[in-house]
Amino acid sequence: MKSGIANRLLWSWRPESPREANDAIVKNMWLHWFPSKVAKRSISFSYSFWLGTISAVLFVILSITGLILMFHYTPSMERAYTSMKDIDFVTSYGWFLRGVHRVAAQLMVVSVFLHMMRVFYTGAYKKSPGCMGNRPSNWIVGILLLMLTLALSYTGYLLPMDQLAYWAMIIGANVAASVPFVGEQIKMALIGGTIIDQNALLRFYVLHCFLLPIFMFLLMAYHMWRIRKDGGLACVDQISLRHGNGVASPVSTKTYSLLGITSGMDIRAQTLSQIEEKDLIPSSPNLVRRIWLVSLGTMVITILLAIYIQFPLEAPADPTMAPNPAKAPWYFLWLQELIADTTFTILGMTVNGAFLGGIVVPSILLALLIVVPYLDRTPTSNCGVWFPRERLTQNIIFTVMVLLVITLICVGAFCRGPSWVFYWPWEQWPVLPVNF
Amino acid sequence: MTEEKTKGVSRRRLFKWVGGASLIAIGGQAFFFLRSCIPNVLYEPMKRIKIGLPNIFPQGHKFLSAFRIFVFKEEKDMHTISCVCTHLGCNVQISEFSQPRKVKHGDVEVEETFEFVCPCHGSRFRADGTHYTGPAPTPLPHYKMEIAQDDGQVVVDKGEEVDKNARLKVEA
Ligand code: HEM
Ligand code: FES
Repeated sequence: MKSGIANRLLWSWRPESPREANDAIVKNMWLHWFPSKVAKRSISFSYSFWLGTISAVLFVILSITGLILMFHYTPSMERAYTSMKDIDFVTSYGWFLRGVHRVAAQLMVVSVFLHMMRVFYTGAYKKSPGCMGNRPSNWIVGILLLMLTLALSYTGYLLPMDQLAYWAMIIGANVAASVPFVGEQIKMALIGGTIIDQNALLRFYVLHCFLLPIFMFLLMAYHMWRIRKDGGLACVDQISLRHGNGVASPVSTKTYSLLGITSGMDIRAQTLSQIEEKDLIPSSPNLVRRIWLVSLGTMVITILLAIYIQFPLEAPADPTMAPNPAKAPWYFLWLQELIADTTFTILGMTVNGAFLGGIVVPSILLALLIVVPYLDRTPTSNCGVWFPRERLTQNIIFTVMVLLVITLICVGAFCRGPSWVFYWPWEQWPVLPVNF
Repeated sequence: MTEEKTKGVSRRRLFKWVGGASLIAIGGQAFFFLRSCIPNVLYEPMKRIKIGLPNIFPQGHKFLSAFRIFVFKEEKDMHTISCVCTHLGCNVQISEFSQPRKVKHGDVEVEETFEFVCPCHGSRFRADGTHYTGPAPTPLPHYKMEIAQDDGQVVVDKGEEVDKNARLKVEA
């Protein structure tokens, strides 16, 4: 055991042998969900950028700050706005609490999206020869997590009941209502009436603070569990392939289950056992240390941004006048742009852009994302590799889609002036009369 | 087989029964829960509203923000147009022209002094509510108006749409 004051204070015990390092993971309530040994490559920053972990850390930060915000916020039409103002200006460190929550929410949208891009570019959604599990299903779980992240953001920014919130609710409710046949019912179930009032606020509050986070938590747990059942990260398959093992045959071994030691198959039996010792390192301390580092980094960046960036509320909700221009938060601007551009008339029938841009196009994109693992017929041997030549076409199509979304966001953010008229960023907006 | 017969219900059938019953029980409840979210009674402002005596309305238009309607009066004719954009429900605003403009309604050309503009996605509507550009799929609705029997106030029924040429004749 190393001496030194830090070591003496922080470590009561330090594993001396691989066996003890194993135990350090398995016997610890928090750590036992990690494998006791991991492949070096799978904890490298250049493979995953740790974006999944960063997303998970952000979710934890959001849960904690959100919980405390719940003590201060009142979900009522009369008091929601003023309670938000109190959080900003009256409560001790309320501005900080709200800032961290707000920054973490936006960062989470970014990190989850980047994580999806990383998984796509490394082809980690594929079922590879070394993998006994079902990575495609984890990709789909991931897409659900992305949807949940967006739904949480949406329901979150409705809560302050400022102008942004109010008109976003109106637009959201009417997009739902634009679904043929059952639209009105969906809208009624969503906002509990025909206008935005107490019912709507309460529903979005319960969704934001309870239902969606619970779903998120459960799905995240499943996501992580799947990673282990799929034999670790996709890059690990490369190692077993490189050693020429091809498809690893399952080996029956002892594994820990809830009921004690049972015999069965675990992931190491399927993949890692084919990997030589030199490619593996003990999770304790290597994995644990990195998780700690990534968590700390995420937290520090979130805190710094929260101190640096202001998030002023807009004016209190005014049902009589929408702000002009009325813009959604940046991550929904591409949808707003679609909604605004896609009304068309065919055979004398007018299809509302709300339905086309707000429901049909996003559903198609979603469906495309879901079938990606099943459409991709490239050799599975390049699973877990960044930008392999065999997936050039897929990567180009995906990149074009991502760029389109980003372009739409930029158009919405920088080129739309009053009444959603197009102006170049350097053009002057006309001065609007204040009263109509 | 014979053994199962003596026992009455086979294990497989029991599973089917219990499984089916569980499905119905869970599915049925799920339906009830969802249905409960669609309100049967709306505690919302009335759709039929009294907006005041005819003579309080000026010539031209007046925006009644609380009811989300524009009330128009030309000589002794009144009509009401909704301010709720038919695209996604933002409030349209009146934008006055600096000079009257000639616009075509089908074959007829009329002179108009203003139009409706929606701030959210830029739909524009003629003075009679007809949409002519932007994502709004239908014209702004006109609502039925009448004079209340009891006190002579103007009544607007936001539950009932009328033709865009319908007018309410008033005394003053
Ligand atoms: C709340 C959102 C999410 C969280 C917290 C999360 C968490 C994680 C974590 C911790 C990992 C381990 C590797 C890493 O850190 O990059 C991972 C891997 C993975 N994630 Fe996510 N994820 C989320 C969303 C998504 C999304 C949106 C997708 C794709 C649509 C996705 C698909 C995958 C797949 C397929 C893997 C395995 C990657 C591999 O084998 O290399 N996840 N996720
Ligand atoms: S709500 Fe009026 S244009 Fe979209």
